[in-house]
Amino acid sequence: MSSTDVQERPAKKRRFFVDDAPVQESDLKREESALDEIDTFCVVAKQEGDEMDVKNEMEQEGFSAEDLAGIVGELVSSDQLQVLRKLSEESLERAINIYFDGSWRSKTVAQIPTITSSSSSTLSRKRVNDPSARPPQLWKTLSGSDDPHKLPLVRTRSSQNSSQSGTPRPTSQMPLQRYIGAFGVTAWATRSGTGLIKHGEFVRLERQKSQPKTKIGRGGKLQTVPSKRQDIVVRFTNMKREEIGRLENDTAVWVSALLDQEICVFYGTCVYAPEKIRSNDTIYLQLRCSMLRSAFDGGGFAKPENNRESGFFEAQETQDERNLRMRQVALVKLLEEINLHPSSSNEITDRHKRKGLLQAAEVAEQYEQKNGTQPVKAEGTAGSSPPSDDAEEGEELQQDQLDSLYKKAQSFDFNTPVAEPADTFNMSLRKYQRQALYWMMSKEKDEKSENKQASMHPLWEEYTWPLKDVDDQDLEEVENQPCFYVNPYSGELSLDFPVQEQNCLGGILADEMGLGKTIEMLSLIHSHKSDVAQQISDPTVNSLPRLPANSTSVEKAPCTTLVVAPMSLLAQWQSEAEKASAPGSLRTLVYYGSEKSVNLQTQCCEANAANAPNVIITSYGVVLSEFNQVSAAGGNRGSHGGLFSLEYFRIILDEAHYIKNRSSKTAKACYELAAEHRWVLTGTPIVNRLEDLFSLVHFLRVEPWSNFSFWKTFITVPFESKDFIRALDVVQTVLEPLVLRRTKDMKTPDGKALVPLPPRTIQIDRIELSKAEREVYDYVFLRAKRTFNENVEAGTLMKSYTTIFAQILRLRQCCCHPVLTRNKNIVAEEEDAASAADIANGLGDDMDLQALIDRFTADEGEQDANKYGAHVLKQIQDDAEMECPICSEEPMNDQTVTGCWHSACKKCLLDYIDHQKNKNEVPRCFNCRADLNTRDVFEVVRHDVVAGDDKTHLFRKKGERTEEKGVVKKKEAEKDQQAIPVKNEEPSDAPIKDESIPIDPSSQPQVSLRRLGSSSSAKISALLSHLKQERREAPATKSVVFSQFTSFLDLIEPALTRDRIPFLRFDGSMTQKARAAVLTSFAAPPAPGITTPTVLLLSLRAGGVGLNLTCAKRVFMMDPWWSFAVEAQAIDRVHRMGQESEVKVVRFVVEGSIEEKMLRIQERKAFIAGSLGMMGEEEKRVRRLEDIRELLS
Amino acid sequence: MALPKRIIKETERLMAEPVPGISAVPHEENLRYFDVTIDGPSSSPYEGGTFKLELFLPDDYPMTPPKVRFLTKIYHPNIDRLGRICLDVLKSNWSPALQIRTILLSIQALLGAPNPDDPLANDVAQRWKEDEKAAIQTAREWTAEHAKKA
Repeated sequence: MSSTDVQERPAKKRRFFVDDAPVQESDLKREESALDEIDTFCVVAKQEGDEMDVKNEMEQEGFSAEDLAGIVGELVSSDQLQVLRKLSEESLERAINIYFDGSWRSKTVAQIPTITSSSSSTLSRKRVNDPSARPPQLWKTLSGSDDPHKLPLVRTRSSQNSSQSGTPRPTSQMPLQRYIGAFGVTAWATRSGTGLIKHGEFVRLERQKSQPKTKIGRGGKLQTVPSKRQDIVVRFTNMKREEIGRLENDTAVWVSALLDQEICVFYGTCVYAPEKIRSNDTIYLQLRCSMLRSAFDGGGFAKPENNRESGFFEAQETQDERNLRMRQVALVKLLEEINLHPSSSNEITDRHKRKGLLQAAEVAEQYEQKNGTQPVKAEGTAGSSPPSDDAEEGEELQQDQLDSLYKKAQSFDFNTPVAEPADTFNMSLRKYQRQALYWMMSKEKDEKSENKQASMHPLWEEYTWPLKDVDDQDLEEVENQPCFYVNPYSGELSLDFPVQEQNCLGGILADEMGLGKTIEMLSLIHSHKSDVAQQISDPTVNSLPRLPANSTSVEKAPCTTLVVAPMSLLAQWQSEAEKASAPGSLRTLVYYGSEKSVNLQTQCCEANAANAPNVIITSYGVVLSEFNQVSAAGGNRGSHGGLFSLEYFRIILDEAHYIKNRSSKTAKACYELAAEHRWVLTGTPIVNRLEDLFSLVHFLRVEPWSNFSFWKTFITVPFESKDFIRALDVVQTVLEPLVLRRTKDMKTPDGKALVPLPPRTIQIDRIELSKAEREVYDYVFLRAKRTFNENVEAGTLMKSYTTIFAQILRLRQCCCHPVLTRNKNIVAEEEDAASAADIANGLGDDMDLQALIDRFTADEGEQDANKYGAHVLKQIQDDAEMECPICSEEPMNDQTVTGCWHSACKKCLLDYIDHQKNKNEVPRCFNCRADLNTRDVFEVVRHDVVAGDDKTHLFRKKGERTEEKGVVKKKEAEKDQQAIPVKNEEPSDAPIKDESIPIDPSSQPQVSLRRLGSSSSAKISALLSHLKQERREAPATKSVVFSQFTSFLDLIEPALTRDRIPFLRFDGSMTQKARAAVLTSFAAPPAPGITTPTVLLLSLRAGGVGLNLTCAKRVFMMDPWWSFAVEAQAIDRVHRMGQESEVKVVRFVVEGSIEEKMLRIQERKAFIAGSLGMMGEEEKRVRRLEDIRELLS
Repeated sequence: MALPKRIIKETERLMAEPVPGISAVPHEENLRYFDVTIDGPSSSPYEGGTFKLELFLPDDYPMTPPKVRFLTKIYHPNIDRLGRICLDVLKSNWSPALQIRTILLSIQALLGAPNPDDPLANDVAQRWKEDEKAAIQTAREWTAEHAKKA
């Protein structure tokens, strides 16, 4: 407590407060009570008892009505007094107990049936609703009061019996107070004197409330008392109401909280006090504690304010949250002090509970203080808030912790009943999907009917009321009320059995990717509709749509489900929704871009229910931007007419880990969407922090977990203080009723896979770099290694972490294409120079054969060389089956032509050139022995004739991307143009152009000669040969090519274009419309006359998640990622439900390069993930450096 | 090591369409090793003789030329006493586009056109230059003595 340090017991006597303050307080109280005719207080602390002086009487036998009233806080009628006296055998102490525990009442009934009239006349009647016909009350202690802080009235048993509401609330059965235990405390004197108090004497505890905000400091200055500072002083007085001292702070902290929040009352007895008291002397007291009935009255507690209504989510604890926590700590302390143990509690939560709870609360306190000193993080700039990773709190979860969490959440019961989807649902569901439907429908309908026995809420504990008090005296039992329940996590008390129930009509569908979450959800949309929607579908009911004027309030949209998904998935949702629905049974609306002009409210409101869209699909971005608009308009949802102007029947967040950061604006925006049923779909409910889950739970509005302070106290704080098991156990109890998760590797009881997917083979294609590539690689490698070693020596490894990482990135790019690592401007200059040389000798990177022949024949020179050239080229064009002069292969493998037009297999020719170079000879043609310019070696590329090929190229026309991306792109576009030497200055050479050649009417295959190694790399070549082979064998097969470098995709594009392989591209720079178009045309079935693109280039980042690419059968992974899981996820875009044929995956890995080492690290990581325990951040870095060391070894 | 396709093809063709006056037969136990005979070209001092040669295809054939050597004694300025042949296509002018067939034809041609200006057997070349007739006569005699058909 912040106040403890200040309010420590002083070493010397010190005056703490102005003497008359408590008197003022009590005066005030007296006035209040006067209004109520009779004092209704029973809380000793607020007691006003001037009128009596019991000190002397204490020594006598028996006690007076005043004595009793002075303690119990209310006048006791003489009849009652009589009873009490009798029962207590004239002991005041016992009488008080008897009075409060109510046990005497039953005896009153039996023994003294005549007290009624007199007592009732003295008591006020304020209950208006009291039926006047009520039989005479036997006994009534208190007047009812409108003030909730005062005790509600107690009904006597007879009144209960006659009360109209058949089953009375359990609180009404409870006596005003009920003894639960006693404990000893130490206190210290605040004054000196003799005979102030002695053993056995009663003491009363006093709280001084509502301390002034300012006080006069020593120098007469006004000092502001920090409002956060909690006053915890608990004083005690003797029976003469003379202050004697105060409780030790340890105790006072929680006793004050219990008193202030009216949970308990305490009756003190002095156990020991020195005869002559000096201030600061220690006094021992025994406190008997009784629970107040009001404590069990839910209304008596100010529950933490419902933060979702307040709209914004406060990271800081509010005062209410703080009170809640104080009460919780105090209760736990109390139960510990009086040594009362739960008679029943949840086994799991019990294990770590008590100590952990207090500890948690303490940590929470420190946490609060620590965070309080830090400036509040500035709100993200309005308008855009990607689900960023920064500003996230909470520690990361380790893989094994996640695993065990999931394992627990995955105890899927294969005997779960199934539900059949509605007729309008057009797809057949697998069994586990029908089980999901059942589960979801029962969630939405909140069927408690399940045979399950009501189990106690895991966070509650059951306590048995003690039957004997501290002096071993019997205590009165209350019928049907042997127990009470405490939630030590929230400080709530209850007399009702706390049933574990869930008040959220939705949940988390966390089936692993590929199990068909979307389909399951769509089946739910079809199968569970609101009553309004059902009426509409019923033709007998004639619905007359009345279109209301724009309402300014939030309208119900009873027929509409709102789907929020990442932009890339909008089109997929729509097409799946259409596929899954019988024609006309489902209206969908993609609410994005220009579609946003519609007024959703008028479209979807109840009056228009018959025509309302059933599914609105929108993106997180739209939700966020409308959220900003609405909040800019002062939170007026209705008049905006957009997403926030409706309360949907159901809302679904797809890929819900988008909102895992609860402080991101997107998450906040989503919290504000209103709906009856709320669902989140995600394959990974927890990405790496427990807080990820909180955000989902908060969105779902699952009480009490959606309360952040609750979450923090029981999950975050224990987790951060390394109490992993407890935190995770609690998380599990949160997850269990809320989550349905199945994984692909789950087996049904009869051992079958949940989803039989066709097999998937992964082949690693080891690439050998060309010599030139190898040289570049080796150079970059040496440089990286040098940097690393230098930093090792200098001991600056940690500091230069990023530099080293950047160099490793270069190495990886180098494996793809050396150009990626080079300065783009220099590359462009070199290419300029090279193409100038080409112009001089009439060659180009990519030449069309027909054009060359034309040129040679046109030359008409007598030069034999030209004639020969023309002849040879003609032969090539005619596809004359020629044998390789070197290896005798027929036809040649990758026919390659020298500058002197002699052909051989590519490998043979290159081998021969190498052979000669190795002998330090100038390479000469194998045939004519002319000197070979090794640059002028051309590959013969035959373009397969595909019907309608040239007119319908679907691939991107050159330069199209130029607008989209900046200067760099432009350079590349220019470069592309250089590859086709259109020389304006030399019109005679003009025909050397690849793409504009009209197809020969004789339909001769188009052939071009392409300079070897021109803007290609070993990897690209390997990819091309795979793709070409695929095209030869099964032309319709579609392939997906992933790379993590979009710049590499930029290089693959022209290579595909040159080889007439139609392709599409999907990356993060594209607009939603463009993405959708790409996905549609890629998925389109082959149609006659149209060339469908068979290759889709994807960036690993943009395309690795969510997409459904089951129309493809081949996956090419151009470059390895650090963890195979990411690659596997990408592969699963193709190898997922709906895939009908075997999927072949080729991973390209450059031999003897960093990529091979990355594979080894991948393997090791997969191995380590399961076996390593908690690793610190430092440890992780060290480990990563180990990885780097290995990479550069 | 498996026999490369090229060697198989060359062998098959040598068998199927033999060059007149030349035979080359691979050893059964080593298909890279050939027994070769070349008939002396007509109107040359070697006419009427049949010369035995051995031919071996090294591992990196056809990147490197075959190794060829006369087994039959022959009096020729470009062939030494050990039967080694001085022929450009067997050395610097080798090209992988050449074949066993072409090489043997070249050797046959060499018999018809000795080139004493680029000698291997210096004494023979000397004599050839000084007294060509006598040299040719010696060559004839050697042919008659060593290369008579069996």
